[in-house]
Amino acid sequence: MNCRECVEHLYEFLDRELTPELERQIRDHLEDCPPCGEQFDFEELFLKFLRARCRTQGAPAELKRRVLRELFGE
Amino acid sequence: MDEKRASFEREALVHLDVLYRVALRLTGNGSDADDLVQEAMLKAYRAWDQYQQGTNAKAWLLTILRHAFINEYRRRARHPETTDIDAIEPFAVFSEIQDDDPQGAFFDRIVDDEVLRAIDELPEAFRETLVLSDVEGLSYQEIAGILEVPVGTVKSRLFRARQLLQGKLYDYAVGQGYIKGTPA
Repeated sequence: MNCRECVEHLYEFLDRELTPELERQIRDHLEDCPPCGEQFDFEELFLKFLRARCRTQGAPAELKRRVLRELFGE
Repeated sequence: MDEKRASFEREALVHLDVLYRVALRLTGNGSDADDLVQEAMLKAYRAWDQYQQGTNAKAWLLTILRHAFINEYRRRARHPETTDIDAIEPFAVFSEIQDDDPQGAFFDRIVDDEVLRAIDELPEAFRETLVLSDVEGLSYQEIAGILEVPVGTVKSRLFRARQLLQGKLYDYAVGQGYIKGTPA
């Protein structure tokens, strides 16, 4: 696998959407290719950062009460 | 407690936080998000007999939520969708920062509200795909089912949504002086 092919699958790899065989080929390439490794690390970090920043908020307690009231008359 | 209610609480109500976060990104404000979630939950409860228990309740609920949004909220959404999403040029942030900040340390200085604001600026098709994937962790297949588009479309929207969002956050970080560079 060359760098272009590797980077083409970057997000599918990070999203764990590849077949085990393709995943292995990418892992092999990343071990031998620091520049691709750096790019994958950066994108992985970005995705972790996104999730951490965006999942702090949950449904307000009042909405939970409202849904229960509406559905079950409580 | 009757069986229907018990199974609904166990399998559906546990996803209230997910539905609320997605509703918030779709509608853009808390009061509409509340109403949308309330309505989706009511529809889901009425249709609960059609849901096959033990399958994917989260994806099923998100499909109901999205339909409710399209039918009743999109018409009066704050951002009328005028962007031609195919014309948006991706911007590779990594190539800009790889010499100065390859670890992306500037991200750490960007707070929650700023990230959410940048997501809210994305065109709707990108925003909903990115939120379902990157915030809520759904698979390409699940997202394709919810958005009723092919998996290939999910992939390409996700790629461009991420690049676009990175570009916005990079611009913001440059503007704030968190990182050297020229805005995208």
